Amino acid sequence: MRRWRALLRRLRQTLSPRPDDFAAEIDSHLQLHIDDNLRAGMTPDQARRHALICLGGPAQTRERYRDQHGIPALDALRQDLVSAVRVLRKNPGFAATAILTLALGIGANSAIFSLVNATLLRPLPFKDPDRLVMIFATDGRRSDRFDSATYPDFVDWRNQNRTFESMAAFAGHRSTLSVGDQTALIQGKRVTPNFFDVLGVAPVLGRGFRPEDQEPAANRVVILSDGFWKRHFGGAPDALGRTIRISRADGNHVAQGFDELHTVVGIMPPWFHIDQPDEEQYYVPLPIDPSRGHGFLRVVGRLRWGVTLPHATADLAAIADRLARLYPRTNLTVGTHLMGVNDALARHIKPGLLIMLGVVGIVLLIACANVAGLMLARGATRQRELAIRSALGAGRGRLVRQLLVESVLIALIGGGLGLIAADWTARALAAVVAMQFRVPRIDAASTDVSVLAFTVIASVATGICFGAFPAFASTSPGLNDALRDSGRSATGTRAPQLRRALVIVEIALALVLLAGGGMLLRALLAMRATPPGFDARNMLVIDLWLPSPRFAQLQDRASFFAAALERLRGLSGVKTAAFVADLPLSGATDSESFHIVGRPDPSPDRPFNAGFNIASGGYFRTMGTPVREGRDFLDSDGPATPDVAIVNESAARAWWPDGSPLGQQILLPITRTTSQLLTIVGVAADVRHVGLAVPPRREVFVHSMQSQLSWAHFVLAVRTSSAPNALADSVRAILRDADANVPIARIASGDDVVARSMTEPRLYTFLVGTFALLAGALAAIGLYGLMSYSVSQLSHEIGIRVALGASRADIFRLVLAQGVALAAVGSVIGLACGLAATRALVGLIKGVRPNDPVTLIVVTGVLLGVALLASYVPARRAARVDPAVALRAE
Amino acid sequence: MKGKADVWQGTLALMVLKTLQLLGPMHGYGIARRIEQTSAHHLAVNYGTLYPALLKLEQEGYISSAWGVSDNNRKAKYYRLTRAGRKQVEKEAREWERTTAILARFLQPEEETS
Repeated sequence: MRRWRALLRRLRQTLSPRPDDFAAEIDSHLQLHIDDNLRAGMTPDQARRHALICLGGPAQTRERYRDQHGIPALDALRQDLVSAVRVLRKNPGFAATAILTLALGIGANSAIFSLVNATLLRPLPFKDPDRLVMIFATDGRRSDRFDSATYPDFVDWRNQNRTFESMAAFAGHRSTLSVGDQTALIQGKRVTPNFFDVLGVAPVLGRGFRPEDQEPAANRVVILSDGFWKRHFGGAPDALGRTIRISRADGNHVAQGFDELHTVVGIMPPWFHIDQPDEEQYYVPLPIDPSRGHGFLRVVGRLRWGVTLPHATADLAAIADRLARLYPRTNLTVGTHLMGVNDALARHIKPGLLIMLGVVGIVLLIACANVAGLMLARGATRQRELAIRSALGAGRGRLVRQLLVESVLIALIGGGLGLIAADWTARALAAVVAMQFRVPRIDAASTDVSVLAFTVIASVATGICFGAFPAFASTSPGLNDALRDSGRSATGTRAPQLRRALVIVEIALALVLLAGGGMLLRALLAMRATPPGFDARNMLVIDLWLPSPRFAQLQDRASFFAAALERLRGLSGVKTAAFVADLPLSGATDSESFHIVGRPDPSPDRPFNAGFNIASGGYFRTMGTPVREGRDFLDSDGPATPDVAIVNESAARAWWPDGSPLGQQILLPITRTTSQLLTIVGVAADVRHVGLAVPPRREVFVHSMQSQLSWAHFVLAVRTSSAPNALADSVRAILRDADANVPIARIASGDDVVARSMTEPRLYTFLVGTFALLAGALAAIGLYGLMSYSVSQLSHEIGIRVALGASRADIFRLVLAQGVALAAVGSVIGLACGLAATRALVGLIKGVRPNDPVTLIVVTGVLLGVALLASYVPARRAARVDPAVALRAE
Repeated sequence: MKGKADVWQGTLALMVLKTLQLLGPMHGYGIARRIEQTSAHHLAVNYGTLYPALLKLEQEGYISSAWGVSDNNRKAKYYRLTRAGRKQVEKEAREWERTTAILARFLQPEEETS
């Protein structure tokens, strides 16, 4: 205990040194001793001498006293810090360059780490989130690892497994909510009754779901999200027991009976959501669905204590095998894929984030190399100072420590600045990324303890990383020579070689990043040059939903389409207008299986399959998509005329390679017992549906006035004669006039749709490109620094050469060649690494070609050009060296 | 070397504490002289080593210090035992006696046989 107390006191003394009265005490000691000696009869001189001898060496005593007073190691650290601050203050140019360089490097890392932290690392706010696992179905035919599960498969997984404590399933749910005369579209979740129990979360008010809530005959109940409760009930507790009318909007498949009054039985806490909050405003029980062919569920399970992921994976794989044998028709190629819930929810963004982490890591390495170069140069000019300190008794360890303290201090200051920038950058990035990827909780990216700890560790590691080399190099054992020499030849040791090596590494790393950025940019440019297959200019698109019971029948949908189109075509500024189910480039696709009349199916169990779409009369004219053969849909096509279809060129090529598809018939199953016979009347040009870099799919269009498919989502495309957005309000009014119960999800221009399809590649290109340019700039600065330093150090040698007859052009070429040679060596190394590294970018966005020679050549050329520029100024300076001055400076 | 220094450190602290217990408040010089006299000049205290030891004892809370005036009107820093210090003297003295008693048992038989 006493020892701790003493340590605390010493620590306090170290941290805030207070003047001690040791000198006074020693003085008084001597006086007392001298008094005694005088009394004993010595002369004053003798008395003083004797007293001093008895006391021992005052310096050593003082030293020991001070060591006891504070904590010597910490004292030394404090001294190093104080002297480091002084050194930095005295060299503001050096300090600012080093600190800013590191602020960029560390800040970039902290910003990306914030995103990684928010999405991948921070535990989800559920009970024991480590044990939560998401279980996806896999489809061997489509090599889909993240497929939805069917209800019967889910039930079998849940009942037959031996590794899960519990398992729940959920699916999306869209519905319309009528408030006053406005109809809004809202999204909720259909969940199994145990959903909240599996996650370990209970409603803050009311109750969770009970097994009987799932029964078809049960009273309809709903649990509200906090947001919905606050918005529509003002957060009043008496919301419990009230009823709301939820009309199911996406009547794509099965499940009727949602247009009913639901009783509010519970309210969830504000932080609870498993997806984006706006996608789960309410929860309703998931009805039982007997079809093993219809996957629509996402499954989350809680592992039993002590069960590992591989263990559970093997368990479920065995069940999937059994199901494949029992139900070969539906389950032959269905497997399971397990993933920790954090990784599963962030899976879209994880590869991108990891690549970005690598990219900013490289930027930091280059920043490190750059600052290490600066330190080496300064180490050379500080040789005299270090030599003097060494001569005065400072050991090498002590000198190295002081230099390391300096570099860690620089790194910490840089890291602090970087963190401030990173906080801002991460928020901005998170906002952009959240829009594109719909990753839950990414908007919570902020500077928390983990980010702070990451930054501090990164800074200290950085400081040691770039400081260690120079510290050891400039305190080499031959230091004392520096005192004897004039200071010029002291640089002739290892430091310049080290600096050259560092610059080569910088250039190699920068080349890797530039090559990556270049390839992404090339892919993006290729995308922008790809015609989407329709004319996006002067086009307004409106997303809307046709809620289920009201529009369940074809005639209801048809009369709405007709009413809306007729009114729209009368609006001035509107050239044409048409409805379509899946707009090109919106990402939405639907596919259906069908038969071709007079031709056998590709295999007994599997009919033909293609993307299906529903479009109204004049659709292709409105979109500006050419009809290659036959005709566009007409307004006169309808229930009374034969059912028609239009196929795209890809479909025509695939199934009618030798003849025309016109007049051919396809049979589209609608329900178990009914089908629709369609006659092909046209072939339209291909359009890009999923993205500009994704090849067009085979597609069949059905007429909206004839289609038996009861899809609920439609897009109204309006071709305008001028700026489309000016018409948005009038179009909205017309739609409300045609039917007040149709909710509008979104209004955008055609250009917006095209632009939005490229947000992701543009984001990655922007990020990688920016960091690559940063890396290139840092490498160029490093090269410039090295060249101008070596010119200033070699001015003596240059002077001799000039005096011996070398021309200025010779000198100029010599220096330039040195710089370019360094860059060339770096580029060769960079190319070798780059070929391997850029392969990682292939999966990031579609259309990236690795090892693209054009990009590599252009990037290398640009980098060499920059190197030339960076060596140009030092070379000119070298050429202007006046031999008389240089030699006299001796 | 180190072991020897430690023993010396330990015994010096005990001597200082015991001296303060006997004499009451005393300055560093006085303590040094007193130790010298008590040991009948067998121990030549390097006065310098005393001050770090005093500081350590003070940091541990066994003694406290205050400036005062000596008999012959010199300013001097006086050390006095604290309550913890008084207990510590008793404890260390007991331990020391036990140690010496044990050691004595090792040494005595030798004397008897010789």
